[in-house]
Amino acid sequence: MEITLELNGTSRTLKCQPHETLLTVLRREGMVSVRFGSTSGETGASAVLLDGLLASTEVVLAAQANGRSVTTVESLNVDDGLHPIQAAFAATGAMQSGYSTPAMVLGALALLAENSNPDEEAIRDMLSGILDRETAYVKPVAAVQQAAAVLRGEQAEPFRPLLVAPMTDGVHAVEIDPTDEAPEASPAVPRVVPSREVPKTSVVGHPEVKVDALRLVKGNPAFTDDFEMRNLLHAKVLRSPHAHARIVSIDDSAARALPGVHAVIHHGNVARIKYASGGQSYPNPKPYDQVSFDDKVRHVGDRVAAVAADSVEIAQEACRLIDVTYDVLPAVFDEREAIRPGAPIIHDEADTADIADAGRNVVHRMTAQRGDVEAAFEKADHYYEQTFRVHQVQQCPIEPHISVAWLDSDQRLVVRTATQVPFHTRRMLAPLVGMNIKDIRIIKPRIGGGFGAKQEMLLEDIVGHLAIATRQPVRLELTREEEFASSRTRHPQTMTYRTGVNSDGTLVAQELKLLGNTGPYGTHGYTVQTVAGLRGLTSYNAPNKRFDCEVAYTNIPVPGAYRGYGAPQALFGLESHMEDIADDLKIDPIEFRRQNWTKTGDEMNIAPHLGEQGVLEEELDEYPTVNSDGIEECVAQGARAIGWHRRTDRSWREPADQPHIRRGVGYAHSMHGTAIPYLDMGGCSIKLNDDGSFNMLVGATDLGTGADTVLGQIAAEVLGVPLDDIRVYSSDTDMTPFDTGAYASSTTYISGTAAMRAAEVVRKRLKERAAMLLGIEIPCSIELRDRRAWAPDGRSVSLEEIALDSLHLNEQEQIMGTGSYVSPDCPPPFGATFVEIELDTETGQVTVHHMVMSVDCGVAINPVTASGQVEGGMLQALGYAHCEEFALDEAGRMENAAFGPYWIYRADEMPRTDVFLVQTMEDSGPFGAKAVAEIPKDGVAPAIRNAIVNATGVRIDQLPFTPERVFNALHAS
Amino acid sequence: MPRAIAYHRPSTVAEALDLLGNGCIPLAGGTVLNADDDPTPVSMVDLQALNLSDIATNDDELRLGAMATLHDLATNHQLPSGVAEAARAELPSTLRTLATVGGTVAARNADSVLLAALLVHEAAVEVVGPGGSTTITLPHLLSEGIPEGSLITAVRIALGGESVRRSTARTPADQPIVSATARQTQDGTWVAVTGVADHPVLVDPENPTVGLNPSGDFRGSRDYRCRLAEVLTARAVAAVGGIA
Repeated sequence: MEITLELNGTSRTLKCQPHETLLTVLRREGMVSVRFGSTSGETGASAVLLDGLLASTEVVLAAQANGRSVTTVESLNVDDGLHPIQAAFAATGAMQSGYSTPAMVLGALALLAENSNPDEEAIRDMLSGILDRETAYVKPVAAVQQAAAVLRGEQAEPFRPLLVAPMTDGVHAVEIDPTDEAPEASPAVPRVVPSREVPKTSVVGHPEVKVDALRLVKGNPAFTDDFEMRNLLHAKVLRSPHAHARIVSIDDSAARALPGVHAVIHHGNVARIKYASGGQSYPNPKPYDQVSFDDKVRHVGDRVAAVAADSVEIAQEACRLIDVTYDVLPAVFDEREAIRPGAPIIHDEADTADIADAGRNVVHRMTAQRGDVEAAFEKADHYYEQTFRVHQVQQCPIEPHISVAWLDSDQRLVVRTATQVPFHTRRMLAPLVGMNIKDIRIIKPRIGGGFGAKQEMLLEDIVGHLAIATRQPVRLELTREEEFASSRTRHPQTMTYRTGVNSDGTLVAQELKLLGNTGPYGTHGYTVQTVAGLRGLTSYNAPNKRFDCEVAYTNIPVPGAYRGYGAPQALFGLESHMEDIADDLKIDPIEFRRQNWTKTGDEMNIAPHLGEQGVLEEELDEYPTVNSDGIEECVAQGARAIGWHRRTDRSWREPADQPHIRRGVGYAHSMHGTAIPYLDMGGCSIKLNDDGSFNMLVGATDLGTGADTVLGQIAAEVLGVPLDDIRVYSSDTDMTPFDTGAYASSTTYISGTAAMRAAEVVRKRLKERAAMLLGIEIPCSIELRDRRAWAPDGRSVSLEEIALDSLHLNEQEQIMGTGSYVSPDCPPPFGATFVEIELDTETGQVTVHHMVMSVDCGVAINPVTASGQVEGGMLQALGYAHCEEFALDEAGRMENAAFGPYWIYRADEMPRTDVFLVQTMEDSGPFGAKAVAEIPKDGVAPAIRNAIVNATGVRIDQLPFTPERVFNALHAS
Repeated sequence: MPRAIAYHRPSTVAEALDLLGNGCIPLAGGTVLNADDDPTPVSMVDLQALNLSDIATNDDELRLGAMATLHDLATNHQLPSGVAEAARAELPSTLRTLATVGGTVAARNADSVLLAALLVHEAAVEVVGPGGSTTITLPHLLSEGIPEGSLITAVRIALGGESVRRSTARTPADQPIVSATARQTQDGTWVAVTGVADHPVLVDPENPTVGLNPSGDFRGSRDYRCRLAEVLTARAVAAVGGIA
């Protein structure tokens, strides 16, 4: 059929099928700013203006738009410049991945056309239909406010950090005056508490606009699905309806006979090569308990077969025509039940080695200790034991997993894919598709959020097999339901803390006994639990510590990497446990922690015994120590901002006019890590161009975090140029240096140091060439700044002149440098999280009104992107604590595999979120930087839990704090 | 979504009824139908050209055209504020502009706060079918469904007396696990509760759980939902100065 619509002001007649959505047709017409988020439209990534109103195009048939007006963000891209709304989004750091930014820009356009001065409530209502896992909506609100001011003709306030005076000397606690208030500022403005130890810099530490802002805010082609391929085939995966079953037979004849089907693959025609899908360093942690297609399925949503066809619809129909006979087996979902005798055995195949105890479904067993905890428990004045249960949630990137594979003209396999780990993927994919690593190229374009979900080889082998089988490009994109059922999630755990403490509040021993649930496959199952042990037992000093862990196979959807990687689970338990001990000992909860927390100069005394390269105590010469911490300042800033003194104010906690309401404030301490020592490695190369600018190639994987920007700032600082002179490209296994990928809070620290080193190589050569041009004998006396090389006598030569000379005129050479870095250290960032809640005692409903987090991330290379990381992390952590959960029925089917039933926070309900960046100088990091991306995941859940304790006295040791759970706890006590 | 194999956009109700009589299914805003992943082939009848989106007052009644969107309801100042607010709360910004009041009635979502607001405003639903036009009370329609081959053309609500909603949800904007909406007029107190039956229901303000047998799910068990219905009804009724 034909439809005629006014597309961005121009009448267009388009062909479409009756079933095609407006999203499909617009993208086919090149409007790639309109992006898929879910078939039911709740993400808003696909929103356009339909007759001037914001509308999700996944739920609009193209035919419905016939005769109507459609506006996409491409309508604003009339020249090289930015529309004021686009400019405001760029200036305020309102986008991270930018996947949904075009929808937000359009929403703002419609809102401001109707109301030139909307209040915050109206802006948040406009944003309510555009889900964002990255910004917590803090900076998008500020962007709309700024755009509104500009469009009203007002002068826009420059968006820059607010410097907040330190409240402490960095070492000692201070008494906080209840009448003292934090400096008033928009929550979007990064609050930076400066340190005198930090040297002055020109580019580092400044709120530079993201280097990819232009392409993102304009909605230009940037993501995996934004690039067209000729003869593209579409893949779909037939997935298991059973949680545990053996495949007795597969008859694919009807599917193969369907016109338009090009290939059908399953365990009968794909080689059985064992692997582990987690994107981790060589050698991947064992066991290798997966194959591309197995004759057994182990969770609802597990792979059974895949089809490549001319269209998605034909591929779907072909999947329906595959006749599979299953022998359905008993299933088990709870890790505690899975390891009991008689539980169904999930991995009974003969060809998986290195399972700790397959008969008990125990995939890993690990212990680590220092000292003698049992003896210390015996001697301690007090002994506490407490068990916690944490649940399964998902990362929920708004861009689902998507991969496109094809054979290039040299018949090499190219995969453009939304991945956090392109280099690991290349190495892991090679044996599965029977190719050499050198014959595979992985291209990582922009990614619409990952958060660990994309630290996985999830689709690449499927599209690889199908591209090889069909010799045509093949695209596979997950639906939202598939994303829930078959991508990755956070590990559920049952954990018991045992603690010995003396009456003066000194910890003498602490043990974490952990039972992790890794679902049907061990991917990340080992390392997530070790990180849980590391984080759960490193925050506090105790001479005796023990980690005792088992990891169980079950039939739940597969857990994997999720931002925080074991720490949010462990710190929920730990910070709840510490709160309750303090309460029992009648010690102030912060003071109790202060007495024991690990700080500068202290050993991280179990850390070396855990992880992929754990060592025994007797093998170790010395323990790593903490070299920098800003925790006292973090606590002071956070306590003042939240109004911590109110926790003892009964008239506030129990409002007289609302007898069913209780209020509370809660606190949680966080100590995280920065990269994996001796393992995470990053590479960078930089070359000089004719005009004195630089191309910088990094293997690091910007997921929207701003990594490219931060790495560019580091290089620009070294080279004495503005950020705009650095053109950053990431990442492509054919072109960019190796990098382990974006995970473990490593990019700024590891890849940043690699960038610094590469820039230093280039700087050295630039100085030598400048010395030649200026006739100076000592190149090291030359200084680079303002795009020039300056001699001590004040003469200078521009970098452009050096470039032209070196490339074209004299002793020609390409000035370039490479750098790489692997760290022996893992400097911990610290955080103090505070929340204020209100609780309805008659219903159990908890409402979070305010969250504050102060973070010591060393020097924030870019305070806008760093504060954005904290804001987004806190949004996800809030969901973890409060509303997100996988609900499985008795057969293991997910009851809430859609946004809505699976609730993630919207713009119009987010509590106020304030972030303070407390500077410290971490000498081992580039320009003093430590990590920031994961620590905001750690403190929100225990802080809410502790606020509930403050409000009601009731201790709830299980997440999430949904109304009925809270109600039951209140009424059980 | 159901696989549309044919699309029709009639310009008269008669044409639409003819198409429905031939097995086509009605398409209002599309937020429910187009989001359905049922692959069954269907022929769709788009109702957007039937001129059914007017909102108009008539004495002490307000007539909401079936194709008026929730955005229209939320921004129309003729509506009682409780109904407008419920329309806003029903769906977020990107879906509210598509979903219609007629489609909302047809979907009979058990958690719909908009349906609850319409119920307490004594809503009646205008339906046209092969046998002509008729008006069905909203409680009856929610209970029995739309007569086969018929179309909703409008929803009429009584004016006077503002409604107030009290609810319990996981988060402030989440669809409530249970909500109670109350409206008080000279004629009495109306209370509608969501999350306790297959669709929102009017309940006795003094005994709101009588006759209810909610099914529980992961958000709330049967007993918990009953408990909420009692607590929230009492609060909503008190908020409108009602009898409880």
